[in-house]
Amino acid sequence: MRKMLAAVSRVLSGVAQKPASRVLVASRSFANDATFEIKKCDLHRLEEGPPVTTVLTREDGLRYYRMMQTVRRMELKADQLYKQKIIRGFCHLCDGQEACCVGLEAGINPTDHLITAYRAHGFTFTRGLSVREILAELTGRRGGCAKGKGGSMHMYAKNFYGGNGIVGAQGQIFEAYNMAALWKLPCIFICENNRYGMGTSVERAAASTDYYKRGDFIPGLRVDGMDILCVREATRFAAAYCRSGKGPILMELQTYRYHGHSMSDPGVSYRTREEIQEVRSKSDPIMLLKDRMVNSNLASVEELKEIDVEVRKEIEDAAQFATADPEPPLEELGHHIYSSDPPFEVRGANQWIKFKSIS
Amino acid sequence: MAVAAAIACRLLRLRAAGAGGHWRRLRGAGLPRGFLQPASAGEDAAQWRRVAHFTFQPDPEPLEYGQTQKMNLFQAVTSALDNSLAKDPTAVIFGEDVAFGGVFRCTVGLRDKYGKDRVFNTPLCEQGIVGFGIGIAVTGATAIAEIQFADYIFPAFDQIVNEAAKYRYRSGDLFNCGSLTIRAPWGCVGHGAVYHSQSPEAFFAHCPGIKVVVPRSPFQAKGLLLSCIEDKNPCIFFEPKILYRAAVEQVPVEPYNIPLSQAEVIQEGSDVTLVAWGTQVHVIREVASMAQEKLGVSCEVIDLRTIIPWDVDTVCKSAGLETENLKMLTLSSWERQSVIKTGRLLVSHEAPLTGGFASEISSTVQEECFLNLEAPISRVCGYDTPFPHVFEPFYIPDKWKCYDALRKMINY
Repeated sequence: MRKMLAAVSRVLSGVAQKPASRVLVASRSFANDATFEIKKCDLHRLEEGPPVTTVLTREDGLRYYRMMQTVRRMELKADQLYKQKIIRGFCHLCDGQEACCVGLEAGINPTDHLITAYRAHGFTFTRGLSVREILAELTGRRGGCAKGKGGSMHMYAKNFYGGNGIVGAQGQIFEAYNMAALWKLPCIFICENNRYGMGTSVERAAASTDYYKRGDFIPGLRVDGMDILCVREATRFAAAYCRSGKGPILMELQTYRYHGHSMSDPGVSYRTREEIQEVRSKSDPIMLLKDRMVNSNLASVEELKEIDVEVRKEIEDAAQFATADPEPPLEELGHHIYSSDPPFEVRGANQWIKFKSIS
Repeated sequence: MAVAAAIACRLLRLRAAGAGGHWRRLRGAGLPRGFLQPASAGEDAAQWRRVAHFTFQPDPEPLEYGQTQKMNLFQAVTSALDNSLAKDPTAVIFGEDVAFGGVFRCTVGLRDKYGKDRVFNTPLCEQGIVGFGIGIAVTGATAIAEIQFADYIFPAFDQIVNEAAKYRYRSGDLFNCGSLTIRAPWGCVGHGAVYHSQSPEAFFAHCPGIKVVVPRSPFQAKGLLLSCIEDKNPCIFFEPKILYRAAVEQVPVEPYNIPLSQAEVIQEGSDVTLVAWGTQVHVIREVASMAQEKLGVSCEVIDLRTIIPWDVDTVCKSAGLETENLKMLTLSSWERQSVIKTGRLLVSHEAPLTGGFASEISSTVQEECFLNLEAPISRVCGYDTPFPHVFEPFYIPDKWKCYDALRKMINY
């Protein structure tokens, strides 16, 4: 296995390496951890914010890299499958925003509860579902996490409440802020600010684009959402704040999405390709982490490339499964509408069609 | 023009005469008698005071559930909530003003008994109330939300229809908010006007995934509410507000359940089937006795009870179903003996005619029992207008309108 990987990595990296040097790489010593400086967060109604330096261990670094790379490749694969019409319907991709989902997960416990809107694939993965289940749900097969009935926007897992097709929630969020602050609920409200609401830039949609201040009486912080370490530290800070019983807190993650709002949106009619290219070359989250790790001797370029290869393979397998898995049977159409015992009949498109509803 | 000027002058005088919002009668002012007078002024008060359009008919005292107590509708609701909170440690009640007892006294005493963690007020946000309720229900606790008037349920419509109703379905049964129950006062009350009289059951009937229930009496209310709370689907429980005090009955003190999605045949008959729910059941009961007395027509009276999923079988069997088809349906034992085939159906509700729930019943019954119908199905409902204030007695489908429709059906 290692030899095969080595061979593949050699081909991919185009570097001629003798087997002997391969052994060298394996025994090369890396640093155990490194300290990094991270950007200071803007604060609203807070005296102090998250720390400006953080320690990243090699193990964590590799794990984050793998997760971010998995999310990235998974989204790109979803893009490919959508263009092949194997995925239909709606598909909102989050490539570019990997640091948000992986960084968030790094800052909370698996027993904490998470709920999000429709750009949910990354969170579904970080919350514990496998790529297979996610891709199969996107293609609408029975191997999917919601048995193929939910699709892109309705993926659920333990302590992960979706995946929701939320629109028009501007009023609702203020009601939620009010209740959370009134009853001091331990809730972190997170805004992944990717600068555009569908096709409208934030400057044209919001009277105040300082979203971290919009909680008004709720304290907030603005975080660089392209730097995973920044996100992690901010999340740890926010989680500690909530757990201490002080009530809710708001976190604005400044991030960017490379794709359009959804697959039906080319993503270039309201922004320039240059802008996308600039973000990709200067602030890509995976690239940032990789540079940091390599420069502080936490990992080698080859090692990270190996991870790339493994991830690619995993995604390929998952896509294969997602394409080949059978669709849920038609009988499932009527299931789980109600919790019902005994099962009852659901009327169909005309009076002579009936489905059985089981739950 | 001159007339308009004259009236304007009189109005000015009237305003001068009756400052402070208390209109005074103008004798000989030439205005139509009774114009611009408060409803309770003077010896004409009897003429003006609105008589309720129905007479509440209590059911006989139920003997199978143990000791009973005289309760009106809001006390029956309090009793049901009391039983729920006692039985289920995760049950919580919340809504606007529920802490002091509620604007209709449905939650009196519960906060003192169970604590402020279990009976608490929410801010003024129906959408937030239902959204919050859905969240609690998803975590597994029993959430009993109160919307102060059914007319105010519309900000929460999105949460109910798009979130609550679809939670189980869209997550493939992984999550659900089945332990959510929403209670709201419902229906006309004599003086409610546009925003305190609505019957929005038809809006929710169009949404698979939730259950909508309307009781007709205190005994029914307690049993149905307890069933809704225990039901594993999100339920909306509409309480006819005009019955809160007007309906008094013997109601068991202990908890008991009345099954959902089962209509009740209150009175058997052979000529016409009358279907209604909530307050209107008492109206059609009176219509049934009028029909018996004046026309010699025997009416079958059905209280639908659950709006969705509704009991198609009972209504169809009553309105007319060929005997052979009965084998396909499950029959309760006493219904099996009395296969009633009236062939005529009248459905009545306060909500506006167009798109009201009577249209669904009518459509389904004609699909299932077309050849057995002797006359077109009659719907006696409110007009297609917003619920009026002054015109309420004209608006509601009272017993005379129902009687008239029944007569036309008989003579068809």
